[in-house]
Amino acid sequence: MTDVLIQNARLIDPASQTDSHGDCLIREGRIAELSDQPNTLKAPKGAEIINANGHVLTPGIIDMRVQSCHPGAAHRETPQSLANAAIKSGITSIICLPNTYPVLDDPEMLLSQCRMMSGLSTAGQDLRVYSYGAATVGLKGEAMAELGLLAEAGAVGFTDATKTIANSLTMRRVLSYASMLNRPVIQHAEDPMLAENGEMHEGEHSTRLGLRGIPDAAEDIVISRDLSILRLTGGHYHVAHIATAKGVALIRAAKAEGLNVTCDTAPPYALLNDIAVRDYDTRFRLSPPLRSEVDRQAVIEGLADGTIDAMASDHSPQDRDVKSLPFGLAEPGYSGLETLLSMTLSLWHGGYLPLMRVFALLSHNPAQILKIDGGQMAVGATADLTMIDLDRGWQVRGGDFASLSVSTPFEGAPVQGVVIGTWIGGKKVYDHKLDLHANGTR
Amino acid sequence: MGNQNRQDNGSAKADDQLGFAPLQDKHLLGIEGLQRPVVEGILDRANTFADLPPRETLSHLKGVTVFTIFFENSTRTRVSFDLAARKMGASVVNVPVATSSIKKGESLIDTAVTLNAMHPDILVMRHQNSGASLLLSNYVDAAVINAGDGRHEHPTQALLDALTIRRRLGHIEGLNIAICGDIANSRVARSNIHLLSILGANIRLISPTTLLPQHITEMGVTVYHDMAEGLDGTDIVMLLRLQQERMQGAETPSQREYFHRYGLTREKLALAKPKALIMHPGPMNRGVEISSELADDVERSLITTQVEIGVAVRMACLESLAAGVLGRQKS
Repeated sequence: MTDVLIQNARLIDPASQTDSHGDCLIREGRIAELSDQPNTLKAPKGAEIINANGHVLTPGIIDMRVQSCHPGAAHRETPQSLANAAIKSGITSIICLPNTYPVLDDPEMLLSQCRMMSGLSTAGQDLRVYSYGAATVGLKGEAMAELGLLAEAGAVGFTDATKTIANSLTMRRVLSYASMLNRPVIQHAEDPMLAENGEMHEGEHSTRLGLRGIPDAAEDIVISRDLSILRLTGGHYHVAHIATAKGVALIRAAKAEGLNVTCDTAPPYALLNDIAVRDYDTRFRLSPPLRSEVDRQAVIEGLADGTIDAMASDHSPQDRDVKSLPFGLAEPGYSGLETLLSMTLSLWHGGYLPLMRVFALLSHNPAQILKIDGGQMAVGATADLTMIDLDRGWQVRGGDFASLSVSTPFEGAPVQGVVIGTWIGGKKVYDHKLDLHANGTR
Repeated sequence: MGNQNRQDNGSAKADDQLGFAPLQDKHLLGIEGLQRPVVEGILDRANTFADLPPRETLSHLKGVTVFTIFFENSTRTRVSFDLAARKMGASVVNVPVATSSIKKGESLIDTAVTLNAMHPDILVMRHQNSGASLLLSNYVDAAVINAGDGRHEHPTQALLDALTIRRRLGHIEGLNIAICGDIANSRVARSNIHLLSILGANIRLISPTTLLPQHITEMGVTVYHDMAEGLDGTDIVMLLRLQQERMQGAETPSQREYFHRYGLTREKLALAKPKALIMHPGPMNRGVEISSELADDVERSLITTQVEIGVAVRMACLESLAAGVLGRQKS
């Protein structure tokens, strides 16, 4: 493997909280040397030399919530389209939900999925693919899945994906058993009874639009209950795509209490609110639903003060047919990979988050939560890196996505932040210049 | 075309040929957002149609094709639109849903594109999902009339209710109007709240807490859970059907309890103003929302008048949208 010397980069490492101008030498797939003075490292013989022109070099993004659609839903996304979408967006690792067909509740299934998806080395795309194991058999919320065998097969955590583990006794057993395996339990927190047939956030807008509401309480009821169970069992509890003010407040209090709790959110919940639904546009049909402005503000506050640990894409591809329906009949979900970075950066551009925090949310924290490799830029660390032009602008157009799913709630939004290059294990897997050459201008 | 005739609203003659188009939008999808002069214009025009002799047929919409497509069962609304279109001289096609490809899983958009290829001028649609008529309007060239979309709006019902009141009492401004019953599931309630607010009425809702949507007071209404309190001083009691087919579970304990607390009886009506009138969009559940005896009291009940006025209101709506469609084709 060729050595790579990246010169004159703005090195941002959320693990060590450093932000300096310097160089980075990659050898044998690892970071061999770092310098905090630009153009000071010497290139070994035969090394590729890249001038970063002062752009950011940071650990590759670790996206901890992705619906892979593999196996079973290739019409929504294929492993190849998923990998293409990820690497062009600076994502070097994804963690897949087990809600595939069949469900990943069997260790053999999980192994073959990770093998198949990681094995896509055509065009040098060695995206790192991890999976969660199902918490319950068939994601039915009743019998516990084979958590121990799943963990040995590589499951980095357990979840019923887009379903809530609603039964308190089941949740107690799963949390308790997972604690023994040193793996987190990831909950989609939405009381299924309270949210039954719900179409959007319950509030003035749902009343005006005549859509069935999902009250914010559907989220905090589950979180509150789970925290009580966690006090019984111990273990690591993680709330996915947190979206309500009350939910954020509960996590903040639980952390203060010293419970082992983490949570993530996704860009729509920090950047959009329920007013977006006003024309019944199904691009805004998401799960959980877009919440109120008060909730959105609380999500940003949680991202800023550390209550919310990670930003995930919540990539949930849907095909055109299931989005071209009346709002209430359309499937929730959106194509999230390709807007994850730019939308999170918009919180920095807008002055809501420091840049260091943005990259902690995107890479270092997810790695810590799931205890997986990556998320740091230190000598000896795996060279999963991405180079970003923070300021270059582009416009979100679902039709231009590499993902097969083109539905995005950010359609038309002007954003800043373009990935110039992505390296996985020291290998360049994405080059924006080549991409431009192949696809015309973005 | 059409707008210059606005000043002549009151005196507009029924035989003016397509001279009148108060609706400025291409479609009639809801009441929310309409301006008072637009609403008054439609009501004035409908009023002239309501005065026509019953057998009078006009030719204003000669050559215009109206499709009606009802994804939910309906008798009165569908017949009313059908009759209104025929009275205006239009050709009407009632697209059967129960026996058509729609039941075979064709999507609403595919249905829209198929129907659009037959070049209807106006599409009248009812659908069980809120927002369906807006979706349809994005895929067809025809003007769309929303004949009820989910729990969202039913604009022609609100217009006919308003005209019924206006013809009986002479005005709407300042009236105390109580809308009573299943507000949460009702598109009629939403359209009426918008329309009667535009026209200056004081609106109160009388409903059990479980049949009221959240934040409804943001729409400028007063809420009562006790019928006696809510009826005090009302001029009009508008009842809503307790839509059993939409009840998902147990929003009310039983029909018996509902009738006891919210069914309109002569005793409860006595708490309203002495000559207070009763309205109901139909179909009625006798002995649930209203006592049978009261429903048949012609002195107090406007229920059959509503049906009658419905045809005139729909004639005016069809005319206004057709004028828009034909005007756009010319230009």
